[in-house]
Amino acid sequence: MDIQLKRGLLDVCVLAAIKSEDSYGYKIIKDLKPYTELSESTLYTILKRLETANMLTVWSAEHDGRLRKYYRITPGGMHRIDEFKDDWKEIEKIYQFVTREEHVNE
Amino acid sequence: MNKQEFINELRIGLTGLPGSDVEERVGFYSEMIDDRIEEGLSEEAATAEIGPVDKIVKQVLAETPLPKIIKECVTPKRGLKAWEIILLVLGFPLWFPLLIVAISVVFVIYVSIWAVIISLWAVFISLVAGAAAGVVGFVIFLVMGMPANAFAMLGAGVMLAGLSILMFFVCKAASKGAVVLGKKIWLGIKSMFVRK
Repeated sequence: MDIQLKRGLLDVCVLAAIKSEDSYGYKIIKDLKPYTELSESTLYTILKRLETANMLTVWSAEHDGRLRKYYRITPGGMHRIDEFKDDWKEIEKIYQFVTREEHVNE
Repeated sequence: MNKQEFINELRIGLTGLPGSDVEERVGFYSEMIDDRIEEGLSEEAATAEIGPVDKIVKQVLAETPLPKIIKECVTPKRGLKAWEIILLVLGFPLWFPLLIVAISVVFVIYVSIWAVIISLWAVFISLVAGAAAGVVGFVIFLVMGMPANAFAMLGAGVMLAGLSILMFFVCKAASKGAVVLGKKIWLGIKSMFVRK
């Protein structure tokens, strides 16, 4: 898949993974696994980027005698997901157009 | 590789980065390993799943902007001691001219490369001018009623035109090469800062 396209998609995927409840790094990777492969280093970069863009906040809690970082979506992050949904409608229209052209050629 | 080995190797690999960045990343990976161990994986299996450290380090370096690396490289890790400051001040007449010389040398090399390119293009322009002059000479000698001279001029003109076409490709290739070389020199300077 095109790198730029995938980058944008992964951002939204991570936001979606923390949408309903706060989550932590390993859980995000596990939750996304059935849908897309995400390496730890890529996740780190995405989380950093989303935090800088105020789309999520980070908080730490003790878990099993150690600190674990949890990620919480912000209204900005929610907005990004909505934006993505709108974008997707447009992409779908373009997809329809592209495949329609294919059918014409067939 | 157990967790401690993984973390140590990661820490060594990220040496060139700001301390806070290193700690944050180390904390992130450490948590990832712990979460896997909690699920029942062995330390070895957990680190293996996360991937080879050098691959992680490469990705981190690629994502870190160069100014950040240079800044980290030139910022002293601790406050300068009094004698170091004195040495810096006293040594100024020595290290400052040396610094200027180093910058000048790089600059001169770069300028020299382009000087050669400019001369090549100058030769190309003279060849084109010579070819044009040949045609003009041909017409003038023809009008003056000296056909032998006229055709000699035309011949010379055509020859120069041919040479100029060849020269154009030489110049183009040389200019391209100079741009590539310039970029390589620039990259070399940059990597001097990144090298650990």
